[in-house]
Amino acid sequence: MKVSDTRVCVLVIEGTNCEEESYLCFKRLGARPEKVHLKQLTGTDVTSDERRSLSDYQLLVLPGGFSAGDYVRAGAIFAARLRSRLSKDLTEFVREGKPILGICNGFQILVETGLLPAMSGTMSDVPEAVLGTNDSARFECRPTLLKNVNNGNCVFTSRIPIGKISHIPSAHAEGKLMFPVDRAKGIVKELEENDQIVFKYVDSDGRLAGYPWCPNGSTDNIAGVCNRDGNVFGMMPHPERVFFRFTHPDWTRSPDGAGDGRAVFESVLAYISKKM
Amino acid sequence: MAVAEVRVTLKKGVADPEGRNTLKALELLGFEGIREVRSVKVFEVEMGGRKTEVMKRVEEMCTKLLANPVIHNYSIAIK
Amino acid sequence: MSRARRYVPQDVPFELKEINLEEASDDDLLEISRESGTGLSLDEMRRIKDYFAARGRRPTDVELQSIGQAWSEHCCYKSSKVFLREYVFSITNRHVIDRGDAGVMEFDRDHAYALRIESHNHPSAVEPYGGAATGIGGILRDVLCMGARPIALVDPLFFGSLGYPSSRLPEGVKHPKYLLGGVVAGIRDYGNRVGVPTVSGGLWFDDSYVGNCLVNVGCVGIAEKKDVRRNAVKGPGDVLVLVGGRTGRDGIHGVTFASAVLTEESETESRGAVQLGDPIMKEPVMHAVLEANERKLVNGMKDLGGGGLSCVVGEIALAGGCGAEVDLSRVPLKEEGLAPWEIWISESQERMMLSVSPKNLETVLHVFKLWDVPATPVGKVVKEKRVRLFFRDVKVFDLELDFLTAGPEYCRPCEAGEALERRRRERRPKASSRYDRMLLRLLSDSNICNRDWVIRQYDHEVRANTVLKPLQGKTGCWSHGDAAVLKPVEESFRGLAIATASNPFAVNVDPYRGGKACVDEVCRNLAAVGARPHSLTDCLNFGNPEKPERLWQFREAVRGIGEVAKELNLPIPSGNVSFYNESPKGSVLPTPAILGCGLVRDVRKCATSDLKREGNPLYVVGTTSQEMGSSAYYRKTRSYSSRIPNVDIQALKAGLGIVLDGIERGSVVACHDISDGGLAVALAEMCIGGGIGADASLAGLGRMRSDTKLFSESTSRWLVEIRKGKERQLPRNRATSVTKIGHVGGSSLRLTSGKILVDVEVDAMARRFNEPLWKVVG
Repeated sequence: MKVSDTRVCVLVIEGTNCEEESYLCFKRLGARPEKVHLKQLTGTDVTSDERRSLSDYQLLVLPGGFSAGDYVRAGAIFAARLRSRLSKDLTEFVREGKPILGICNGFQILVETGLLPAMSGTMSDVPEAVLGTNDSARFECRPTLLKNVNNGNCVFTSRIPIGKISHIPSAHAEGKLMFPVDRAKGIVKELEENDQIVFKYVDSDGRLAGYPWCPNGSTDNIAGVCNRDGNVFGMMPHPERVFFRFTHPDWTRSPDGAGDGRAVFESVLAYISKKM
Repeated sequence: MAVAEVRVTLKKGVADPEGRNTLKALELLGFEGIREVRSVKVFEVEMGGRKTEVMKRVEEMCTKLLANPVIHNYSIAIK
Repeated sequence: MSRARRYVPQDVPFELKEINLEEASDDDLLEISRESGTGLSLDEMRRIKDYFAARGRRPTDVELQSIGQAWSEHCCYKSSKVFLREYVFSITNRHVIDRGDAGVMEFDRDHAYALRIESHNHPSAVEPYGGAATGIGGILRDVLCMGARPIALVDPLFFGSLGYPSSRLPEGVKHPKYLLGGVVAGIRDYGNRVGVPTVSGGLWFDDSYVGNCLVNVGCVGIAEKKDVRRNAVKGPGDVLVLVGGRTGRDGIHGVTFASAVLTEESETESRGAVQLGDPIMKEPVMHAVLEANERKLVNGMKDLGGGGLSCVVGEIALAGGCGAEVDLSRVPLKEEGLAPWEIWISESQERMMLSVSPKNLETVLHVFKLWDVPATPVGKVVKEKRVRLFFRDVKVFDLELDFLTAGPEYCRPCEAGEALERRRRERRPKASSRYDRMLLRLLSDSNICNRDWVIRQYDHEVRANTVLKPLQGKTGCWSHGDAAVLKPVEESFRGLAIATASNPFAVNVDPYRGGKACVDEVCRNLAAVGARPHSLTDCLNFGNPEKPERLWQFREAVRGIGEVAKELNLPIPSGNVSFYNESPKGSVLPTPAILGCGLVRDVRKCATSDLKREGNPLYVVGTTSQEMGSSAYYRKTRSYSSRIPNVDIQALKAGLGIVLDGIERGSVVACHDISDGGLAVALAEMCIGGGIGADASLAGLGRMRSDTKLFSESTSRWLVEIRKGKERQLPRNRATSVTKIGHVGGSSLRLTSGKILVDVEVDAMARRFNEPLWKVVG
């Protein structure tokens, strides 16, 4: 499928607020993104012109923000609404190999929905992980360095060399990836074996480091994970904010080249044009 | 009309940054001798129906939305 | 007259009273003003009495309350207008598009930007979290109702010192540490949730703010010119649609609260006047309003802020040359049983009024339905310039707009009085041979040290348009930038720079020069990143204007601000005055906070403050003089001078030209304005951001004391790092000086003037600069 035919659903509800910049990343690369309200997929309060079906799209994006205010828990309300109304559509979408991207709040939603890490099956009945409150108990808006540790499974990072350190900023209050305490070690090991870990927070020398390099205290410094098949991917930091070099936090020191986030969007569009 | 009080607490061993940082803030304000501060989230759900029925439905709310089993325990008290 | 005779209940199935003004004595009038909570003066009450006497009827409580709102200082600027008109309103140029709830300026051929700043002081002093959050909500709506999409938030904050002893706090006053934490959390939780980046601001500490902290919030928005709307109806027949949150008892008498001095009882008495915001109502309101507006379904709109419906209906109708009829029983309520007057003046949050042509009504309601935002037609626009209100088919209000909106205007007594006598003889600090320790003390001063504890809690890059962020530097070595730069239009590299400035210490000693210095500073900040100053908006926080000395401070500061702005052709298309910032402890420092916007031709040419490369030469642009009044150094050493740095307009213009030219040509690779703490602190910050040292000789700055060279806060000065070999490209201008002082390099900052004055490791400076806030509020 040509990139120019690739339809991207950027899904929003009240409180989603990174939809515009996420939408623009795909538009700049020549795809056909569209901002779609959840009600347009469920058919509530909309005219027939406004009605949409998930199956019309090749890529689903859950952008960042504070969906439904992040009350109860980050992403939990959006996730509950997705599960109750679109479970079947979502499962089909993933099984067809179509990619889903969750950034920041989108990652939280994917975890709460059970679409990530989804170590067994497509969508777990209950969440297998959680993105909990940062160790600092504060919102943290800061530059973060991410090392690509994925060995080729994830379709969103195929254009990023293994081991490369990318400058992709974080902005969240609940980004600490956690697993059930008693089984955390085993789960991390399994994720590694499945090649589901994608990005880790590192310092400027590429080493796993504590705060503030890792802004939230995440298990094993994990910043992003994908499902077993590599087509569902969630990350806390914001690649859409560094599409261009001139929005990098230190770009005046090295102004040339593309932004580090661009490769995430290029990778998935390349995957779609090859596979679909 | 019944009121169900849902108490969502963090499981043992799960870090509680909110509690820890509140403790620090209290100490900065000059309170001494605090051993621990734990954060707990409480929801009050007001709804009609028999007690057992309410209990069942609130239980379902907990698994579907109010708590994440990875880090949370919850308890329900009907008032 | 007994209370029972003052108020005559009406025979209707809801609360409605007529007020017996015709028989009221002066004492009764004052009592009625007090009991109604309107705060109207005796003269104003008499005017109301005469108006109704001439019409042979009594006012209803709805009418009296409404007049109280409309004539409050907060709504009609009765004490300040005379000065604003003289010094500020007259500055204009062809880039000004509108002066409404927010000012609107031209951005490029097809786009406009909107800007506004206002205060939310009194509510924040009582309930810091809710007060600050509500402030953000209000300023977003001011920008939104011009048809602009909010793209940046700005928040200058002023508190008592964080180490203030709790035992000395007056009854009912909260500790500055608690207030700072609450206010920052309020801005964070609201601003982050609505997805508008907080890109600039400031944090000032002085004990005059202990009883009355200042929380100013600014917002900048962007719009296509064709989508810009006026805060006006189109004409008779328009439907008035109330959108957003429901109306409740929260926020009753907010404006009259803002127009009074805080007392010890304020906390318990005023809770009703603090509104509670809901960012997750606001976020979809913004979506729906912008969508309806871009689809050309809206004729005009206005925010419900101070005074609630009572102010918005009259103002939006009158601005279109019309009147209105409103059915108050249609207003969606939070709780049953509100009286008509409460509905009419409530300041519940997240509400806006849209004026819509009948043919578009259905589509507008559908757009709001999709976003689950209540939208209710509550009235219609009529030809006659009156407002009539009905509640359950009973007419409860019928006033001519010319009377309602013709608030009084005062020329109150205004004289310097003791303020001038307080200026004492200069007391200089003892000269010393080395200033290493002084520099470190200044770097860790609460008014200078790193603000990252605050800044990093705000999302400053949501929307992905923030090109220059509030913290700049090498990864891991962040220091303060002078201005943030946004790239608001996808198809263009044109940038919008945003900077904040205030200098209450200088304004307190010499309000005229202090006011000038504030404008100078905001212009320096903008130029330092490569932006041409384009417009200003100001929030003027002063004490009780009924005291002649306070009003004199206000007039002088406004005169200073206006003078520099006029010379630079910088319009001030919006602004806000906040008087009565006094507590039992006295007045706050006179505090004008200025938000400046500048235009950048190409954001890819912007400069940041961090030093870039070993060997690059360093220059000072501007002239340093012995003007140490209110400087951070003099305050630290408990010295005194009444000589506040003056602004030489020609030197400022020349400096702006040199810096901008240098940045646009690419010869300037780092630039920082010289302000608090003088040259030494500015250069230290540049070293900290770059993680590299510098070696500079100040001998060339002229003949003066070494500490003056290091710490003077003379205006119109910048430090610039030039790309090696491009030194000749830095333009010169006879109106100011350009002095080479040294070069970048090494691991320490070395400052000499004949002998070594300072030699400190950059790491040591960074530690002292970074730690203070974390230690106190961590």
